[in-house]
Amino acid sequence: MIPFRVSYWHIQPVWIFYLLAIATLTVLGLGIAIHVSVWRKGIKRQSVSFSLKDIFKVIKEGILGTRIFKGDVAAGTMHGLIIWGFLILFVGTLALSADYWMFPFLHGSFYLLYSFCLELAGLMLITGLIWALIRRYVQRVPRLERRFEDLLVPVWLLAVAISGYLAEGSRLGAQSPEWAGWSFVGYGLSHLWSGQKEAMSAYPWFWWLHALLSMGFIAYIPFSKLFHILAAPVSIYLENQPLQIIPVESREEEVFSYREAIFFDACTRCGRCVEVCPSAGAGEPFTPRDFIAWAKQGLLTDYHLLNSVDRFKNWMEQRGTENGQFDASKIWHCTTCRACLEVCPVYVATPDAIRSARSKVVEQGTEMPDLLARSLKNVYKYHNPWEATKKKRAKWASDLDIPNLTKEADGNRLCYFVGCTTSMELRAQALAQSFVKILNHAEVPFGTLGKKEPCCGDIARRAGEDGLFEMKMEDCSDLFQSCGIQDVVTSSPHCFHTFRNEYPPYMTLREPDEQVSFRVRHYTEVLAELLGKGSLKFENSLGLKVTYHDPCYLGRYNRIFDAPREVIRAIPGVKLLEMTHHRENSLCCGGGGDRMWQEEMDGDPKMSEIRMQEAAATGADVVITACPLCLIMLEDALKTSGLENKLRIMDLNELVAMALELK
Amino acid sequence: MNIVVCVKQVPEVSDADLEINRKGSDIDREDLEFEINEWDNYAVEEAVRLKEAHGGHVTVITLGDEDCEDVLRQSLAMGADEAILIDEDGFEMSDAAGIAKGLHGVVKDLSFDILLTGVQSSDNSWGQVGLILAELLGLPYASLVVGIEMGDGKATVFRELESDTQEKVELPLPAAMTVQTGINTPRYVSILGIKKVRKIKIKETDADELNLSEDEIGAEGSCVTSRKLVIPSIGGAAEMLTGSLDDICNKAAQIIQDKGGLV
Ligand code: SF4
Ligand code: SF4
Repeated sequence: MIPFRVSYWHIQPVWIFYLLAIATLTVLGLGIAIHVSVWRKGIKRQSVSFSLKDIFKVIKEGILGTRIFKGDVAAGTMHGLIIWGFLILFVGTLALSADYWMFPFLHGSFYLLYSFCLELAGLMLITGLIWALIRRYVQRVPRLERRFEDLLVPVWLLAVAISGYLAEGSRLGAQSPEWAGWSFVGYGLSHLWSGQKEAMSAYPWFWWLHALLSMGFIAYIPFSKLFHILAAPVSIYLENQPLQIIPVESREEEVFSYREAIFFDACTRCGRCVEVCPSAGAGEPFTPRDFIAWAKQGLLTDYHLLNSVDRFKNWMEQRGTENGQFDASKIWHCTTCRACLEVCPVYVATPDAIRSARSKVVEQGTEMPDLLARSLKNVYKYHNPWEATKKKRAKWASDLDIPNLTKEADGNRLCYFVGCTTSMELRAQALAQSFVKILNHAEVPFGTLGKKEPCCGDIARRAGEDGLFEMKMEDCSDLFQSCGIQDVVTSSPHCFHTFRNEYPPYMTLREPDEQVSFRVRHYTEVLAELLGKGSLKFENSLGLKVTYHDPCYLGRYNRIFDAPREVIRAIPGVKLLEMTHHRENSLCCGGGGDRMWQEEMDGDPKMSEIRMQEAAATGADVVITACPLCLIMLEDALKTSGLENKLRIMDLNELVAMALELK
Repeated sequence: MNIVVCVKQVPEVSDADLEINRKGSDIDREDLEFEINEWDNYAVEEAVRLKEAHGGHVTVITLGDEDCEDVLRQSLAMGADEAILIDEDGFEMSDAAGIAKGLHGVVKDLSFDILLTGVQSSDNSWGQVGLILAELLGLPYASLVVGIEMGDGKATVFRELESDTQEKVELPLPAAMTVQTGINTPRYVSILGIKKVRKIKIKETDADELNLSEDEIGAEGSCVTSRKLVIPSIGGAAEMLTGSLDDICNKAAQIIQDKGGLV
């Protein structure tokens, strides 16, 4: 006899099954509709364009799950077993329906292969699920939470898989087809029953149990973290889609963009972000995962489809308050260091969402952190956060004879954009002074904007004060345009990032004659270029062991990891030692995201102190960095953590100037 | 409940190197930035909070020139409903009484329950405008207010006294109060907030319209005349330390040690 598959064998009445299936799909559909309606309530202006590359990315990272392996092979394998087991069984079930309803193809040796594969898939699924439970409840992997749903989901799915095997086993026991051995697990289980009759009477029970558990599980998907099955592929696809810029004046009431709403739904609470978040790591009352959960719950409470029903709304609000200790005052902890995004399997852009949440607080005005409010007012009034008058801006250079590009416009000269902090803060001024000496030494024609130099707007941007950011952007662009500035180099990775990545999308919204485009580089790139050209010749050996701290906005945001390292390695007698966290895994100094301009909300030890401990552990004499904020934060930490006698902090410019013996 | 708040624009001087102009009549305002007087900012916030709690209408008034529109816009963005600018150069050289007369010209025709001003302004620091204005209007008055509770036809007001004590007084409405800093935390005003109130028209008036003659305002109408502004000369006990940061620190440490401050 040719092997074949029977469907609904001895299952009566089948119509109940169909009724239940329709009910399941209805609940699933309603659940999806709820999520989609919430997404649609987000800020809408986000055009999504077709990209084949991103579709491949979804297949590779979402379905093959490659991104989950990154940094955690065990988690990747565990998840792979579950997703592949689940997908094969799912497709197998679809094939069965097709076989029954459309065209029979499950027979002969193909059917045997099919049975064998499904059998394997079931085993994969069960192994993966048990592994998942062990990781969470036995091994107790620290980043994993243990909420009710975290237990319910794997146990339920396990019950689905086991009941499936039992249904199959009893069927095989009752039918005893000669090909039963291909379904090796079911065949093994078929011996549980002493005879065909016993198996026959058990079979419908297991069949129905399996059917009910499976349908229930499908209906449960949109109401649990399982919804990531649907949302994660979308969020992975959206990752590379350019963010649409909405000028503040045309914004609506909504807080989050719909892209962010999708990100929140894709989050599985896996906790990888918590592991790398410097704020959470320093014991501050903040984690990106809690923020996401809070933001997601907020969206649901505000925009749920059933919100017109009062009782439901109250219940949602109740759930919101139970959900956790997170509240809006905590959003200021994030340093926007982007470490979370680097590891998130589904690309939840926490720093962007944090900015959106901050925007709302800024516009409302009453819950702003005092010091930050003051710094923003300073940016508005003084064009810098340091409350320094214009005269003070150029003071650092009073002994240096630097051409002023606002007085003698010269488009051929490199414009050195010093930045607020570097101009005003005593420790950071050394960065600028050294850089100027190096440029002079290398005979690069350059100039600065003197006391007319505006603020680039980074501080406003990070605070979500986009009106102020737009204003500063206009100041800068207009000045660059009137002075014919084409080529800019910055001290700070923050100004650099703002110019390079945040101005251009806004420019497209301006009138054609007001659109300003210029080349912008960070000083590390300029140093590397000068080195390449042979303009920096180091003659003396320094005999130093150094380690390099990657600033977030230079490294993670702009992928400049090699330029500073090339420069360091080129200096004779300098040995570069790497810290545990380096390059894209660098640990934030704690000064970004406007933390520099806020009340202390540090943990103990502070982020910067943790960083300095790590630097000290390399055995280096000097920590090199390439950002004025890092310089200040780390210098401070050096004093507070008692490492003053062991370590020194230098900006890369200072190291180069020292190696060149520039006075 | 309707509230009127008088505000003033002042130069921001906390970090500026102040210079006196040649005539000695005023500071050199060239490189300075301007802002709302700190005390007045608290007063506007308090007015907006009272409105949010009890309903009503908040009107802000300032006396100055076109440039003072900024402080009015800021107050509107904080939540005030209406703004009036007394655009008049003639008030230059006025003392507190002169300013109060100008404000009185507008306020006397408004209907309100509470009139607020800051305790004092950071530039002239007379601390009198609110008081004189209350007197001109014949209103009950409380100064140094750090808390306001509304009652039926009356307000319970807390006044700041010496060393953390407070006096609780009851005023029948309408009443005037001068607001002390710390009564609340003034909200942040975003640029978008200011842009949103751009369309609200600011009412403008001047001395003519208010029927104030030349000898009632400015130096003429004042009882006190400012003769000269001076920066106190550096006294004998003061010594300016110069040199690099390290030098200054070493010298300072030496001085402290010499004077017996460090053992
Ligand atoms: S945001 Fe990303 S990394 Fe963090 S818990 Fe959610 S899915 Fe995991
Ligand atoms: S950006 Fe950095 S500080 Fe902010 S949530 Fe992510 S990891 Fe934490």
